Amino acid sequence: MASSIPASLPYADTKPAGHADFYFAVNATFRFILRHHGEGALRKYWQDIGQSYYQPVSKRWSELGFAGVAEYWRAFFAVEPGAEVEVSEAQDEVRLEVKTCPAIRHLREHGREVVPNFCQHCFFVNEAIAEPAGMTVRVCGGNGSCTQRFMKATADLPPQNLEDIATAS
Amino acid sequence: MIGCYDFCGHYEWTFEWLSQLGGHTLVRAYWDEAVHQDSQTHASKLIREKGFEGMKEYWGPTLADEGAVYERTVTDDVFRIDMHECPSKGFLLRNGLEQYRDYCDHCMGWIGPLMKDAGFVIDHEHNHCGQCWWEIRRKDDATPASAAGELSGASDVRLRPGWQSPHTDHYERSTDPDDKTVVS
Repeated sequence: MASSIPASLPYADTKPAGHADFYFAVNATFRFILRHHGEGALRKYWQDIGQSYYQPVSKRWSELGFAGVAEYWRAFFAVEPGAEVEVSEAQDEVRLEVKTCPAIRHLREHGREVVPNFCQHCFFVNEAIAEPAGMTVRVCGGNGSCTQRFMKATADLPPQNLEDIATAS
Repeated sequence: MIGCYDFCGHYEWTFEWLSQLGGHTLVRAYWDEAVHQDSQTHASKLIREKGFEGMKEYWGPTLADEGAVYERTVTDDVFRIDMHECPSKGFLLRNGLEQYRDYCDHCMGWIGPLMKDAGFVIDHEHNHCGQCWWEIRRKDDATPASAAGELSGASDVRLRPGWQSPHTDHYERSTDPDDKTVVS
């Protein structure tokens, strides 16, 4: 049985870190949905997986606030092989400085064609997780490194500009 | 971000999402196109080019990295796996994750078409509890599947107490995920 994984992760495994080749399948899943049903379906997939599969994460963020957000991402990236990420917590936001995205890195190392809007999944999935907790996320950068800011959702906050998220290659 | 640590969880969730979007046809297409022909091109290449040696090269490191408990038996004519603790199904069972009707079908869903392209057929049985066995032979080899214990001795998963509890899905010289019969 698992494990030394912190309780802040919703699903625990017995192995100490993920198997990086599974990033191939994540990328291939996006490409498959895009090819068969288009960009709208792919965005819905990201929103649905955020609301459904990651619902335990939303619940924990609702209960713990920014402390829960920071704790989740520290635990998350600790088990994603090759990730280099700094997580900082301030009074009004949690900020992720993704210096090396483990997925983009692994896909590139193995010569895989990355779905161009791959990096948008971080916005759509994370926004769907954050929204029930009264939070929102803004993503800037991508294609291997980015900044993600988790904040309280307020009416005066401009929406995510998808042009701020880089095309992956 | 969608990560790789809990991959089997969101992979299984995705089967049901696709099923609701486009039915079983879309799920089958996903296993073949996204997994076999896209994600697992490294496996396809190894097995097409090297046959049984390629199977050893693919499944050896992959199953070790995933943390599987299994036994491999390879002769000049057959590649056999006895899976005693499937890391993928085990993850789902430990975490109480079950959205799709039979997660185990995904293996035949991508490995079946791969083996068909590479010129092999599969005898396979899974018990939905994290145990299964596979025998892969060249398609022109009419040898039937081995009897329990015949090829892999005491490591044969079929000798486990409660192997068929409550039932297994069985494939005979197949490469199609729907080509199964229920054994109880």
